Amino acid sequence: MAPFYKTGYFSEPTSFVIAFLIGIGFGFWLERAGFGNARVLAAQFYFKKMTVLQVMFTAIITAMIGLLIFSLFGWIDLDLVYINPTFIWPQIIGGVILGTGMVVSGFCPGTSIVSCATGRIDAYFYLGGALFGMFLFGEIYPLIEGFHKTGAMGRMTLDNWMNISLGMAGFIVILLAIGMFWGGEWLVKKFGEKETAQ
Amino acid sequence: MNEIEITSGRMNPHIDPHLTIWGWEIPVYLFIGGLVAGLLFFSALFYIRGNKDKYPTAVKIVPIFTFPLLSLGMFVLFLDLSHKFYVFRFYTAFRIESPMSWGSWTLLVIIPLALAWSLTWVNELWPNFKWPVNWISELIEKLKNYQKQMAWGLLILAIVLGMYTGILLSAFNARPFWNTSILGPLFLISGMSSGAALILLISKSEEEKKLFSRIDMVLIGIELFLIIHLFMGFLASTQVHIDAAMLFLGGEYTTVFWIFVVGLGLILPLFIEIMEAKGLHVSAKLPALLVLIGGLILRFVVVDAGQTSRWLYKFLE
Amino acid sequence: MEQKKYWNPYLAGIGLGITLLLAFVLVGRGLGSSGAMIRVVSWITSTFSQSHVDANPYFVKYAGSGVNTFQNWLVFEVIGVAVGGFISGLLSGRLKFKTEHGPNITSKIRWIYAFAGGILMGFGARLAYGCASGQALTGGATLALGSWAFMFSLFGGGYLVAYFVRRQWL
Repeated sequence: MAPFYKTGYFSEPTSFVIAFLIGIGFGFWLERAGFGNARVLAAQFYFKKMTVLQVMFTAIITAMIGLLIFSLFGWIDLDLVYINPTFIWPQIIGGVILGTGMVVSGFCPGTSIVSCATGRIDAYFYLGGALFGMFLFGEIYPLIEGFHKTGAMGRMTLDNWMNISLGMAGFIVILLAIGMFWGGEWLVKKFGEKETAQ
Repeated sequence: MNEIEITSGRMNPHIDPHLTIWGWEIPVYLFIGGLVAGLLFFSALFYIRGNKDKYPTAVKIVPIFTFPLLSLGMFVLFLDLSHKFYVFRFYTAFRIESPMSWGSWTLLVIIPLALAWSLTWVNELWPNFKWPVNWISELIEKLKNYQKQMAWGLLILAIVLGMYTGILLSAFNARPFWNTSILGPLFLISGMSSGAALILLISKSEEEKKLFSRIDMVLIGIELFLIIHLFMGFLASTQVHIDAAMLFLGGEYTTVFWIFVVGLGLILPLFIEIMEAKGLHVSAKLPALLVLIGGLILRFVVVDAGQTSRWLYKFLE
Repeated sequence: MEQKKYWNPYLAGIGLGITLLLAFVLVGRGLGSSGAMIRVVSWITSTFSQSHVDANPYFVKYAGSGVNTFQNWLVFEVIGVAVGGFISGLLSGRLKFKTEHGPNITSKIRWIYAFAGGILMGFGARLAYGCASGQALTGGATLALGSWAFMFSLFGGGYLVAYFVRRQWL
C-alpha cells in the first residue's frame, strides 16, 4: 500500500537514496523544459512564452490525476500523504514577494539549482541572494513570528474548503488548467511574435 | 576471551559507542596508499611498454608526486600510533603472520625505489636544473641504467601495495564487514582508478587523456562488479555477515555509500566518460575529481562500517 | 557546440508530474528545494555562532544543538536535482559558463538583479513555507488551499512587477 515509506517498506536511509534518485528526475525534467535558462522563466511574465504555466500545470494535473486514480483503486492511502498545512495570509504575501523575485531574477529556487549545475553564472548570484534572503528572514523572525502563523487552517484542501467531493475538485482543476493552456496559447500568439518594442 | 567484560564496562555512548579505535588517519592512509599504487603501476607499465614519450604525464611527471604522497601517508599513519616513540620497532623484525609487518616492510622498499624512479626523470623534465652537489647527479646517471629493473620492481610492488591496503582490513576476520576476500582486489582497483583519475586531471595531451579515460571506465566497471559481489557474498553468508551487509541496505551507511561512493563516485563519472567517448564535450577534470573524492569516501565508509559490525550483540541496545 | 531545442513543455510537464507522483507513492511527500537551502543557511550560521542559532526561534528548528541538520529528505533530493540538471544539460549540449540576460543590459547588471531577486525570493519562500516546487507543484497536486492561494499570488505578483523590470529581459 502506498506511500511505501510510510507503510514501512523501507527505512529512512533508503528513503534518502530514493530522494536522491527522484531529485535527479526532478532536475532532469526542469532542465529539459528549459528552466536552466533564466530568460525562459522570465518570458512567462511578458507573454512571450508560456513555458512556466504549461510545465507547472501539466505536472500538477498529472500528479493529481495519478493520486486520485490510485486512491480510487485503493492503492494509496491519501491520509498518509503529506499535505502542506495552510497558513493563508503568509502564503499570499509570500507568494506576491516570490512572484516579484521571480520576475526580477528569473529563477525559482529549484530552477536555480539546475541552472547552477549547467554553469550559469547569474544562478550563482541568485543562490547567494536567496541564502542571504533566508538568513534575513530568520534574523527578523522574532518580529514577524506572529504574522507567520496567522490564517492557520491546518490540512485544508480545496475540496474541504469548497465543500465538494475530491473528484469534483480535481475536475475543476483540470478545467482550469485547460482554460489556462488555451488562454496561454492565445496570448503567446498575440504577444510572442512581437519584437522588443513594447 | 573476556570480550563480554570489556563490552559491558566501556560500551556506553560516552566512552566507546562501538569500540572504534581507528579514526580518520587510517582511511586517509589507505587512500594515499591506493593512489600511489595506481600511479606507480601506470608509470611502470607504460615505461615497460616503451610508451614513455607518448604518455609523458603518466610515466615521467606523475612519479614526482609519489614520494611526497607516500611521506604524507606514513606521517598520517604515525599520527595514528598510540606509542609513537616505539615506531622504529616496526623495522626491527619481520613477522610473517602480521599484515602490518608486511605493509611496513613493503613501504620501506617502495619509498626509496619510488624516490629513485622519480629522480631519474627530473633531468628530462627540467633540463636546466642542476643539482647543488655533484655526486647526486652522478648517482642519478648511474640509476638511469637500471630503469628497466626499477620499472619491473615497481610494477610488482605497486600491485602488492594496492592489494595490501585491502588485505590489511580483510585480515581482521573478527569484524564481519571486513571478513571478505573481495576487499583486497576492490581497494587495488579503486587505487588504480584513483591513479588513472589523477593522471587524467593533470595530463595535457589529448591522446593520453583519451587513453586514461578509457582505462578509468574499465576500472570503474570492474569496481562496480566487485561491489555487487561483495554484498552478494555477505548476503549468502552467516547471519552476522547478513547483518553487516544490512548496514548498507537500509542501515546507517546506506545513504552515504550509495549516493556518494557509488552514485557520484562511480556511476556518474562513468556516465560522463561514456558520453565523452561518444563525442559530447565535457571537461575530463570533472569525472576525475569525482572518482578521487569517491575513492576517499569509500575508504572512510569501509573502515568505519567494519568497526561498527560485530559478531556478538548485533545491536547496541 | 549546437544546442538542442528544449522539449515540448507539455511533455516535460508530464515527465515532471510523473516524478512528483513517484515521490508521493514511494515516500508520501512531494518535492521541494527551499527547505534544503534554509538548512544550509542555518548550518553556516551555526558554525559562526551556535548560541545565536539556539536563541533564534526559526533557526533553532534547523540547526539547534542536537539537531542533525542535513539528515533530511530535501537535502538529498536537492543534490539529486543538481545532478539531474547536469545530466540533462550534458546530453543536450547546454553546459556552459555564461550569464543569461536580455539584449539591452550587461552581465554585471544582470548579476545585481539576480542577487536582489534572490534576496526577495529567499525571504518570500520561507514566509510562504516553501517555494514553487514545494508549495505550487506539490501543494497544487494535493489540492492544498494555501498552496493554490500561493500560486495565484505568485503569478499575480510577477505580472504586476514585470512591467517595471522589462529592461532587463526585453
